[in-house]
Amino acid sequence: MGRLRRSRTHHAQRDVHRASRTRARTKDLDQIQLIDLDPKNRATLEAQPIDYEKPGLAQHYCVECAKYYETDNALRSHWRSKVHKRRCKQLREPAYTIEEAEQAAGLGREGKRPTREFAIDAEMGVATLA
Amino acid sequence: MRIEKCYFCSTNVYPGHGSAFVRNDAKVFRFCTSKCHKNFKMKRNPRKVRWTKAFRKAAGKEMTIDSTIDFEKRRNVPVRYDRDLVQTTIRAMKRVGEIKARRERAFFKNRMAVAKAKQRAHRQKTLEKAKVSVMLHEPMAINETPKIKEKIKVPSKTRSALVQGDGRSMGMEID
Repeated sequence: MGRLRRSRTHHAQRDVHRASRTRARTKDLDQIQLIDLDPKNRATLEAQPIDYEKPGLAQHYCVECAKYYETDNALRSHWRSKVHKRRCKQLREPAYTIEEAEQAAGLGREGKRPTREFAIDAEMGVATLA
Repeated sequence: MRIEKCYFCSTNVYPGHGSAFVRNDAKVFRFCTSKCHKNFKMKRNPRKVRWTKAFRKAAGKEMTIDSTIDFEKRRNVPVRYDRDLVQTTIRAMKRVGEIKARRERAFFKNRMAVAKAKQRAHRQKTLEKAKVSVMLHEPMAINETPKIKEKIKVPSKTRSALVQGDGRSMGMEID
C-alpha cells in the first residue's frame, strides 16, 4: 500500500508532539471562562508578585490567552492581534463541560428536575420509578 | 459497577475499557477510544465535531427535550436490592425503550420531511440556473455541418525491402 499520512505537517518544528505533552499543557477554555475571567480572580492574575521563574517576572499576563509576556509593549501588541481576538471569540460562547457530555448521552443528575412533566408518561402507561 | 460516558463522543465506557485523564483541578475526563483522547488533546470542541453526540444534540439532529431521555440518572446513594423493584425496573426499561424508538423514528421522519422539501427547492433552483446558461441554451454542434469521411486508397506494399542479415542485423534489398 502507498503512503496514507499527509506530508508537510511539521511546519519547520522539530518535535510536533511536544505541545501535546501533559507537562506542557496549557489551561483549558472552560478553566479560563469559569474561573479566571471572574473579576476577582482576574485582578489577582493581572497583579501578580514578582516571580523570577516566569517570563517578564510575571508582570505582563494576558488572562484570556493564559500567557505571560516580556514587556508591556508586547502585551499591548498582543491584545491588538488576531490570536487574541480569536481567543476572545471562543470564550464568548459557553464552555463545554463533562456535565454537557453526560447530558448529551442522556445521563442526568439526581435531584434535578426533568425537562418535561410526567403527565405525558402517565398517558402512555409507563411506570414511573420511585 | 458504573458505566461512564465518554467526554468527547458521549458513548458508554465500560469498566476496563478506554482511558481517563485527570486534570490538575481533579476533574476526570473519560475517553472511550484513543480517537476521542487525541481529539481532546487537540483541544477541539465536541460541539463542533460532527460525529459526536454533543454536535447532533446541539444541531437539532436528535431529540433533546423528551421525557424518555430523562430516566437514566447518576445516583450517588445506592438503592438497596429489592426483587420486586428490579423486576418492575426491567419491565419499565423495555417499555421506555419501545416508546423512545417510536418517538425517535417520528422525529427523524419529521426532520427528513423538511429536509426533502429543502432539497427539492435547491434542485429546482440549480435547474433554473442551468436553463439560463448560454452553454446549454444553444449548443454549438447544431450549426456545424457534419463532415463526411472519404475513403482514400492507399497502395499497399507487397513486400518489405528489409531482409534478415547475418546475426541480429537487418539488411536492405538493393535493386
